[in-house]
Amino acid sequence: MISDVLIGLGLAFLVIGTIGILRFRDVYSRLQASGVSDNAGLGLILIGLIARNGFSSDDLKLGLLLFLLLLTNPIITHSIAKSAFVRRHSAGDDVR
Amino acid sequence: MIAEYLLLLSLLAVLYRLVRGPHPWDRLLAYNAASNRIFVLLALIAVSSDRHAYLDATIVYAALSFLGVVILARFMERGGEHR
Repeated sequence: MISDVLIGLGLAFLVIGTIGILRFRDVYSRLQASGVSDNAGLGLILIGLIARNGFSSDDLKLGLLLFLLLLTNPIITHSIAKSAFVRRHSAGDDVR
Repeated sequence: MIAEYLLLLSLLAVLYRLVRGPHPWDRLLAYNAASNRIFVLLALIAVSSDRHAYLDATIVYAALSFLGVVILARFMERGGEHR
């Protein structure tokens, strides 16, 4: 029950983030959409999977996966943004 | 069931940005988003159909995709030159 609610909420975050990646105008806006909503959505889905059926050995692996996701996703977003910024990529001058 | 198909649809939409994206950073960002969706899809399949080996594959895939994206970003930061 509660796991279905969490997974549904996470899917809503993911779909909104996907619309953001498709529709936004430049690299930095797309990074904002992808970084924030992916982190929230995937985290919620993984917590929902952990809460699904009792305690098993799967929960430990899913927790490790969640930890890995929360650790690496901000680093990836930062490094892509820094890479675009260092190469003097200017914002706001390309269309879809 | 619905969750898997919704994730697959979202994966296809992100792959459209990967093919289309005008700049290399758009493609890198879309690759990262696509690999995130792939590993959560894998975890969802692993839990819902009781295949425990898929979870180990998921953890390894997440770690390797992190390495790939960060190394590619650093490579493009230096202008694609070997140094």
